[in-house]
Amino acid sequence: MTDRPEVAGRDGFHRLLLAEWTKLRSVPRWVLTVVATVVVTALVALLVASSSNADANEHRVVVGPDGQPVSDEFHFVHQPLPGDGNVTARVVTQDDSNAWAKAGVMVKEGTESGSPYAAMMVTPGNGLRLQANFSTDLAGAAEAEPRWLRLTRSGSEITGYESPDGSVWSKVGMVELDALPPTVEVGLFVASPNDVQIHRQLGSIGVGETPTAGKATFDNVSVVSAQPSKPGAWADLDVGQPGTAGASTESDGMFTVTGSGDVASDPPDDDVVLISLSPGVLVAVLAIVALGVVFATSEYNRGMIRTTLAASPRRGPVLAAKAVVIGGTTFVAGLLASVSAFLLAQPILRANGYGPPAFPEPSLSDGPVLRAVVGTAAALALIAVLSLGAGVILRRSAGAIAGVLVLLILPLLVAHALPPGAAAWLMRLTPAGGFAIQQTVDRSETALEPWAMIGPWAGFGVLCAYTAVTLGVAFWLLRRRDA
Amino acid sequence: MTWALQAEWTKLRTLPSTVWLVLGTVVGTVALGAAAIAAVDIAQCPSPTECFEDTTKLSLTGVWLGQVTVVVLGVLAMTGEYGTRMIKPTLAAVPERRTVLVAKAVVVTASVLVAGAVGVVGSIIAGRILLPGNGFTVANGYPPLSLTDGPTLRAAVGTVVYLGLVALLSLGVGAVVRDTASAVTAVLSLLYLVPLAAGLVTDPQWHDWLDRLGPMTAGLAVQATERVDQLPIGPWAGLGVLAAYAGAALAVGALVLSTRDA
Amino acid sequence: MEATIEVRGLRKQYGTTVALDDLSFDVDAGHVTGFVGPNGAGKSTTMRIVLGLDAADGGTALVGGQPYPQLRTPLCHVGALLDAAAVHPSRRARDHLLWMARSNGLPRRRVDEVIDLVGLSSVARRRAGTYSLGMRQRLGIAAALLGDPPVLMFDEPVNGLDPEGISWIRGLLRSLAEEGRAVLVSSHLMSELEDSADHLVVIGRGRLIADTTVSELLATASKGRVDVRTMQRAAAMALFANAGGTAAVNDRDAVTVSGLTAEHVSGLLDAAGLPYFEVTPHRASLEEAYMDLTRDAVEFAAPPVGEPR
Repeated sequence: MTDRPEVAGRDGFHRLLLAEWTKLRSVPRWVLTVVATVVVTALVALLVASSSNADANEHRVVVGPDGQPVSDEFHFVHQPLPGDGNVTARVVTQDDSNAWAKAGVMVKEGTESGSPYAAMMVTPGNGLRLQANFSTDLAGAAEAEPRWLRLTRSGSEITGYESPDGSVWSKVGMVELDALPPTVEVGLFVASPNDVQIHRQLGSIGVGETPTAGKATFDNVSVVSAQPSKPGAWADLDVGQPGTAGASTESDGMFTVTGSGDVASDPPDDDVVLISLSPGVLVAVLAIVALGVVFATSEYNRGMIRTTLAASPRRGPVLAAKAVVIGGTTFVAGLLASVSAFLLAQPILRANGYGPPAFPEPSLSDGPVLRAVVGTAAALALIAVLSLGAGVILRRSAGAIAGVLVLLILPLLVAHALPPGAAAWLMRLTPAGGFAIQQTVDRSETALEPWAMIGPWAGFGVLCAYTAVTLGVAFWLLRRRDA
Repeated sequence: MTWALQAEWTKLRTLPSTVWLVLGTVVGTVALGAAAIAAVDIAQCPSPTECFEDTTKLSLTGVWLGQVTVVVLGVLAMTGEYGTRMIKPTLAAVPERRTVLVAKAVVVTASVLVAGAVGVVGSIIAGRILLPGNGFTVANGYPPLSLTDGPTLRAAVGTVVYLGLVALLSLGVGAVVRDTASAVTAVLSLLYLVPLAAGLVTDPQWHDWLDRLGPMTAGLAVQATERVDQLPIGPWAGLGVLAAYAGAALAVGALVLSTRDA
Repeated sequence: MEATIEVRGLRKQYGTTVALDDLSFDVDAGHVTGFVGPNGAGKSTTMRIVLGLDAADGGTALVGGQPYPQLRTPLCHVGALLDAAAVHPSRRARDHLLWMARSNGLPRRRVDEVIDLVGLSSVARRRAGTYSLGMRQRLGIAAALLGDPPVLMFDEPVNGLDPEGISWIRGLLRSLAEEGRAVLVSSHLMSELEDSADHLVVIGRGRLIADTTVSELLATASKGRVDVRTMQRAAAMALFANAGGTAAVNDRDAVTVSGLTAEHVSGLLDAAGLPYFEVTPHRASLEEAYMDLTRDAVEFAAPPVGEPR
């Protein structure tokens, strides 16, 4: 027989990939699951967005120079500084009213809450800092007061200095404040943030905030202007609306100032990106877990594994190919799902009160937003591979699905019911921590959602570790056990 | 019917997985309950008198985990028959299909009720032992958990009934879907997703509706012993919601079982 | 109760595929009835409908005069082996039989009796998942015999059995029939039934092709055919063709002629002076008879080897 067609097999990992991909796409139910996952994620995002509303914008929202919501409340003892010059003061004492209580000197565009500023300050718990415009935060030496502080203005450049004795000065840093008017307000300021109490009542966690009053004494206060001008008179006022009113007295060049409030960025507690992603993703996770597990266990149900291993006897690469195919497919589907969920939900959320100024508009090109959207897809891919591993280890779909879902979903529920400390440990110890990758807002003390208990990358790392260990055990068992 | 019951009981008890699942329910319930108790201390409250901790409910948190094995047991009782093609000899031996479903419902529920009762009593005992160590003492206004206390007894009995209803719901979904993976996923989603969604929805009205309509949130309202009048849904009404889910699933399951080819 | 299966006008459709099309036949007591047809002919579907597992779109299937779902103790009326793999792999074989016994109120000792009967006593406590195909087949037969039923149905019972197992099954089928039971055995290979079946129901594409005894079928298939052995094959074939017969080559020196009687064939050969060794009436094998019957009813036929594609 000379006309027999040549059937030549070829080896290689990409052949295995092709084989596994063919298996995946040739089962209509699986393809449907992937497609449905994308559609349902987007639909759930729409539904939850329509049912959410925020009233944050109904209150006065203070925004900083970059348009972000800020807290800008403190007591300010000030006078105008025409042109370049400097302000100097020694902080003699500071009450330990809060670890982030602030006392020091400030250069500010005006006395309007939210206007640009730069400040040198001492804090009871965080040492000496140079801060500006609610975003820049440079640390100085961490020694205790008394401490000499100085800010010098030269055009738009503000430089902060510290000194232990008023004669030897060291530079802490320089910040640039754009579009500063020729005359700015300079002087002494005292602020002290609210105390946050997290306590348990009626079986759930409540957050309470009480204002604190900061108090500091200053001496050796001086304002020097490069332009010839007569020494200004001191005025004082509360910038913003602090919880308790501040005051100041002066005698013999010694200023005693009390003030309440905080000068800092104040991101909203609600994470607009997380709201648009996480409900849909929770639904998607269920489908993905089932798919990942069944992609493995279906091999065992009908003895398919024998056919598979007869076709490619090296078991390690077979599992690797399965992991790449299911992970890759899920990543692409997850990316489609998270991008469309984000794009569909954002306009609705904005219309329901989640808009500027309280909620700055997120954009896909922002770092944290991109991290959340792509990270969501990556987390789904990891969950699919984790499920695949669990399926190989347990070989039974019921047990594997229930097991993975218990590890992924139950911690989120339990964490809601437990005190923050225990909840944080749950997030560190279970792959549910992976959902933290969806955060785009820095965690504040008052954010008590389970995924706010761990940093985005730390949570993602926990999920990675779970996936790696599960897959490792699956590799080991697959090679060791009879098919 | 007696024969069908005997047959289904024989089937259930001769599978090694049954023993593991029933044990899993007991261990899962007690273990998570004990862990939840251990994590809560009266020092986390503003003051012992302002704590209002529902220690019964806290001790019974473990059913959140214990119900998972119940779901698997309930689903497998039906889908296992299709997965192994055992459905053919089963229906050949008992051609009246509703009888098969009822017999399965009886034996599965009975096993789950027993496991649930052991798990719940274990959780209450764990509460009695662990709660005083975390400050929930008589002096602070927390008498030891006791089944002779009306609300605690209701919570305990209601939790056992809750597990039984979850088993029936799972069996019904298994009869409708016939595929293990889909049925387990469907039931666990129904149970877990609603409370999670309620946590994400900010509108309080939606939140209450989700709590009233979710089989897990509504069904577990029966665990409350504090401020029962402020719950979104009453204790027994909540179990009624879960019973309606289970009844609907079983009714559709019976219909599918008797009309579709095996 | 009568030991019979009566199938009348069964119809069943899956989507657009017609699985059974007006199928009727009887299975009587005291015989082994072979139920044959190519793969996909509708044998398993028929058996599933008889057992009430699938609902027929039309027609009736009665066992002992009653529809199966109305039987109170069905295992005592009909024993069936449809799918030997239909056991839970984690359950011990004995427990598998025990739950079936319980379902029909049969005593526990009956389980041990059937285990002995099929020769599984030494392995009855092993999990069914550890069984070989042959052992599962025996377990399935034990399940069928559990209620000592007058009617038995076996779907492809010799699939996967070793020669010893096959001969055991054949003996078992015969002895069950001799005890006065009605035994229906399906197969897609006629040769499997050659030694055991008395009666044959042949179906193809869901239709009844033949309902006959084995001897009748053989006679029909042999009828009007003559085997001829001659060294001058080509000349002989031309001769038969001219006389209106059809000749098929069997071997280097053998042809089978149809359409002509044996007398006519030998007369033609004698008249033409062609030498021959043998002219005898054709004796068809059961396989051949079956192939003739089902030629048009094969659903998935491969093209004959050697033909251009």
